[in-house]
Amino acid sequence: MNILFLLIPLALLLLAAAVWAFFWAASSGQFDDLDTPAVRIIMDDDTKPAQNEED
Amino acid sequence: MATDTCYHCALPIPDGCNISIDIDGSLHPVCCPGCKAVAELIRDSGFASYYDLREAPDPGVGRPPEDAGEWDVFNSDDMLEAFSAGDGETADVTVYVGGMYCSACSWLIESTVDKLPGMETCDINPVSHRLRLRWRPQKLGLGDALRALAELGYEPQPLTPDSGARPELTEQRTALKRLLVASLGMMQAMMFAVGLYAGDYQGIDPDMQHFLRLVSFFVTTPVVFYSARPFFSGALRGLRARQPGMDVPVSIAVGAAYVASVYATFTRGPAVWYDSVTMFVFFLTLGRFLEMRARHRSIERSTALSSLLPNTATRRDGDERQVVPVSQLVAGDTVIVRAGDAVPADGVITSGDTTVDEALLTGETTPLRRSAGDALTAGSVNLDGNVEMRVERTGNATTLGTISRLSEQARFARPAFVQLADRIASYVVVALLVVAAAVAAFWYYADAERAFEITLSVLVVTCPCALALATPAAFAAAGARLSTLHLLVTDGNAIEVLSKATRIIFDKTGTLTRGQPSITSIEVLDPGFDEADCRRIAAALETASSHPLARAFAIDDEMPQASNLKVVVGQGVSGTVNGREWRVGHREFVAGEQPRDDHPHTRVYLGTDSNAVAVFTLDDELRHDAKDTVDVLRDAGLEVALLSGDNPLPVSRTAEALDISDYRAGCSPEDKLAFIKGAQDEGDIVIMVGDGINDAPVLAGADTSVALAQGAMLAQTSADVIMPGESLHPVMTGIRVARKTMRIVRQNLAWAIVYNATALPLAAMGYVPPWAAAIGMSASSLIVVLNALRLSRYGKAS
Repeated sequence: MNILFLLIPLALLLLAAAVWAFFWAASSGQFDDLDTPAVRIIMDDDTKPAQNEED
Repeated sequence: MATDTCYHCALPIPDGCNISIDIDGSLHPVCCPGCKAVAELIRDSGFASYYDLREAPDPGVGRPPEDAGEWDVFNSDDMLEAFSAGDGETADVTVYVGGMYCSACSWLIESTVDKLPGMETCDINPVSHRLRLRWRPQKLGLGDALRALAELGYEPQPLTPDSGARPELTEQRTALKRLLVASLGMMQAMMFAVGLYAGDYQGIDPDMQHFLRLVSFFVTTPVVFYSARPFFSGALRGLRARQPGMDVPVSIAVGAAYVASVYATFTRGPAVWYDSVTMFVFFLTLGRFLEMRARHRSIERSTALSSLLPNTATRRDGDERQVVPVSQLVAGDTVIVRAGDAVPADGVITSGDTTVDEALLTGETTPLRRSAGDALTAGSVNLDGNVEMRVERTGNATTLGTISRLSEQARFARPAFVQLADRIASYVVVALLVVAAAVAAFWYYADAERAFEITLSVLVVTCPCALALATPAAFAAAGARLSTLHLLVTDGNAIEVLSKATRIIFDKTGTLTRGQPSITSIEVLDPGFDEADCRRIAAALETASSHPLARAFAIDDEMPQASNLKVVVGQGVSGTVNGREWRVGHREFVAGEQPRDDHPHTRVYLGTDSNAVAVFTLDDELRHDAKDTVDVLRDAGLEVALLSGDNPLPVSRTAEALDISDYRAGCSPEDKLAFIKGAQDEGDIVIMVGDGINDAPVLAGADTSVALAQGAMLAQTSADVIMPGESLHPVMTGIRVARKTMRIVRQNLAWAIVYNATALPLAAMGYVPPWAAAIGMSASSLIVVLNALRLSRYGKAS
């Protein structure tokens, strides 16, 4: 069980990283729109661009 | 899809036109080379699935670009500076995208814009129609980006940075962060709590127990100091204002449980309550978050309203045309509004015919015909003709400005009901603190070891959150719903009164009828004048009146100068024309005491020196949904009455057409007030529906008032509920939503009271551990909020 003394602090570090990532995402506006992402999943690119010189 | 409409824009294909486009091997007809070009662009970019995804083909989308040069204006550095914010490397700009209707549009826009050179990020919100761009201005001008959107057929308008700032976004971001910290903290704390509880039964190594408690302390601390901060500051504010709200017991419970747990952790005491603390904070934060989302929906709508205005307008000065920012327009300017553009200001058409769409302003879905002399409303969309208009009102003075101001006002109106609930809640809070202290004292002597835990349970389980949320949550949801139904509630109490009303009284002219009367005949009584003279004099006098009948008199001809104009409400207008004193209005008003008129139509008299000179006969159509609305209201159990200042015969004709048996004609405003007072004395709760201007005192006498108002009238309207449109139907919708709201409020209050009444004794007797108390209390408030949120969908399905 002593491994817990190492694993739990590691888990807490991961937790801190996750919170930091979420704060960054929220501050940069990624969660400003909570409505669109729900419908975005139904749109996908099934046709390839016919003649695209840019890419 | 029918083959005689264009595959791209859905407009009918003109005779003899034979153009088609090949998509995925099948040929589709299109109506013009422009549509073909746009459709080919969409196909060749690999976006053909736009045609499958779009919800409805709309003629507004895919309008071939008319004037590609206009976007070059935006390529200059000045424009870039005016519209964007950035760090020199990249620029940020928010663009309002007009002509966007569905998810397919947002997909098309995003996919296209993403491929532009120098584009870093782009996000589009289909609700507010805003596109946020971040790109490198050295690689791509702002104008070029806008042109790319215009070439797809949309109408982009860059927004100045301040009009894009939205304080509610900051609030939402902070709330999300607090919610996330609370939820992660709760999950972790509960996980360790499971270990600790198992240890209580099976035995646990004391070092491991201490370690798990320490870890719980680490995950709980941010929850208490970050996520729960609004509760602490709210409690402090409440105590300072001597109005302790539900934040006070919450703060005491969270604070006390946390401090006691920390003490137990470091002194290796018997028990910790980290799991209860984090769970309590998480559910409270979640409830607040849901309530905040309900509030923000109504804000989104009012910002969507103010973004209906275009950013630039084409002003014509003699032969010179100039694109200017809308903010520079002043009354008297001549502006060209092209087909498909939004009208930039309120004004009158000077040349051209068109149809306009006012759906977003009034909910009126049928496009309305407008030709020279007709009024145009800022924010409506000019559908199919190019017109020139003279600007009359700009900015906040426009109908649009007034509607957004009223919606804003409605959001801050706090009904007396909610204020009462708040006051009661603060007494309840004090009572609970006393009860908690008594419970603590009792258990301290009975079983000192359990005293703290039981007091904590009592504090948590009886927190009057559900009680305090029951009404405001329901009213917030109802307000948001009503404003999407085009009902502006300016008085917070209106919802409660609407739900209880037993009698509804309609005014006739301009309310049940369309208020667009026309003069059907003119009878000249004095041979010294001819028809045209009388017409002109009456027109000059009626310019002073805002009565619906006055509109019938408006003429384009030269009018004589009228001075000393005086409006006598409910009677008519007097004034001096060509040196003589003239009066126009009721027979009594114009020609002194005389028997009442019994003509079957509405008649307006014109006279001088107490002699009638001419009689105008007017006719006014009923509103298209008047009959329906009256029937539905009667079915809903309301007594319907009709009060009018008009003559008996036209009033009885209207009443018969609508099956209204209770009507009074020839009423002065005093008569109407007396009628309302009489009904109120009989115990009726009265709704008065009028036009809000000529009957303002009458409206004020009723328990609540509803006014139909359009255009310039809107700003002067005084009523508790305003319907900015042409139809009467929203009255019924409003009553339905109000009844539903009060039903939900009653359910919520009943639930909160029953819950608190059962939970308190159980907790005081020591049957509820703190973690169960946290779940019970949180569940009860969540139920209340979710129940209220049902209102925001109410009536959508039917």
